[in-house]
Amino acid sequence: MKRILALLLITICFSSCEKDDICAEETTPRLIIEFYDISNPSNLKNVLNLKVKGEGATDFIVFNESLPIDNPNRYLFGGNKLELPLKINDSITKYSLILNSTSTTNANEDFLQFNYTPQNVFVSRACGYKTIFTLNAAPDGIIKTDAIVPDNFWILEYSILTTNITTENETHIKILF
Amino acid sequence: MKPISRFYFNICLVLLSLIGNAQEVSETKKDSIPLKKERYGFRLGVDLFKFSRSFYEKDYRGLELVGDYRLTRRHYLAAEIGNENKTVDDDQLNFTSKGTYLKVGFDYNSYENWLNMENIISIGLRYGVSSFSQTLNSFQVYNPNPYFGEEPIEIDGTQYDGLTAQWIEVVAGMKAEVFKNVFVGFSLRLNRLVTQKRPNNFDNLYIPGFNRTYNGDFGVGFNYTVSYFIPLYKATVKSKEKKENDKKKK
Repeated sequence: MKRILALLLITICFSSCEKDDICAEETTPRLIIEFYDISNPSNLKNVLNLKVKGEGATDFIVFNESLPIDNPNRYLFGGNKLELPLKINDSITKYSLILNSTSTTNANEDFLQFNYTPQNVFVSRACGYKTIFTLNAAPDGIIKTDAIVPDNFWILEYSILTTNITTENETHIKILF
Repeated sequence: MKPISRFYFNICLVLLSLIGNAQEVSETKKDSIPLKKERYGFRLGVDLFKFSRSFYEKDYRGLELVGDYRLTRRHYLAAEIGNENKTVDDDQLNFTSKGTYLKVGFDYNSYENWLNMENIISIGLRYGVSSFSQTLNSFQVYNPNPYFGEEPIEIDGTQYDGLTAQWIEVVAGMKAEVFKNVFVGFSLRLNRLVTQKRPNNFDNLYIPGFNRTYNGDFGVGFNYTVSYFIPLYKATVKSKEKKENDKKKK
């Protein structure tokens, strides 16, 4: 009888955790770009006041979430590892990258267009599906263009380290400037 | 609701009788008492829980028939056969699972009836098999960085056919006779998957008969049955059991 009661209790416990599933796995990855020094290609180099905007997005990417919404510094990036979301339902994502964006004379805008094939992969009940990407093989994977008013390229060289964008734990693209 | 109140009355009786167990043993078993005869036969019924859910839950249709056969004084051969069609609407996914299942096993009646009562408090095991299909109706890609706006819900409609699963169930149940030969009972089940055939790029999230999968291979179940007992023959309670009772007295 005690065994039956114990079973009853266990069952009641489990029947009450219907909606407890939280997605904890890694899902849709972003594109990971690392910036290196052109004069010393093995050294990482921080960019200065980089602003990034995707074509079709309403606003620049926010890098400093903690700053208030009306503070323009929210959109400034100064590190050497940039994470860019790719469009899930498209095979093209184009980004505008503005270096020294706070300077009126030195700002330099370059465009990078990424061409890829998205693929939906099942993760789990809580996460559902994620999208992974395969960049097109060089030279089609990345296309670099200058601003509408040409201001020369600040991105001097780039290379695709891997075409498989499946996790954010590795660097996919290397940029030298 | 006369049958229901009778059922609860019976349950109360059953529970009360457990408290009074010790007295019962000490009072009975005099040689002059005529031999106790018990009935053996089939019991067939239907799961009212699944049946009623089909009416009040619009995303669910299911039917389960249950049956058992009394093998020995305490052992029953038991089986359930059923069909389910359930649509699950989760945050990221909407899918429909449908199929047929069969569970076969035994129940052990641990309850000592008095007089000619035939109530059952049982614990048992089942081996379940299910053949089913899952249709992914729609999904929303999980994107933790929705920079380009929230992802749209994608209508899919892919059907994953030919899926199978096998599992073991531990069953704790109770049945009480409410009218002559009519039994009402319920059971709680803990399920553990043994093998399953998973779809490609999806998972078995709901298996007919097994229910929702927890951690991929764990499940729980419940049924509430009304069944009819078809007596086939009577047998006297064996003297071996008397001896056992005598031993318990000491």
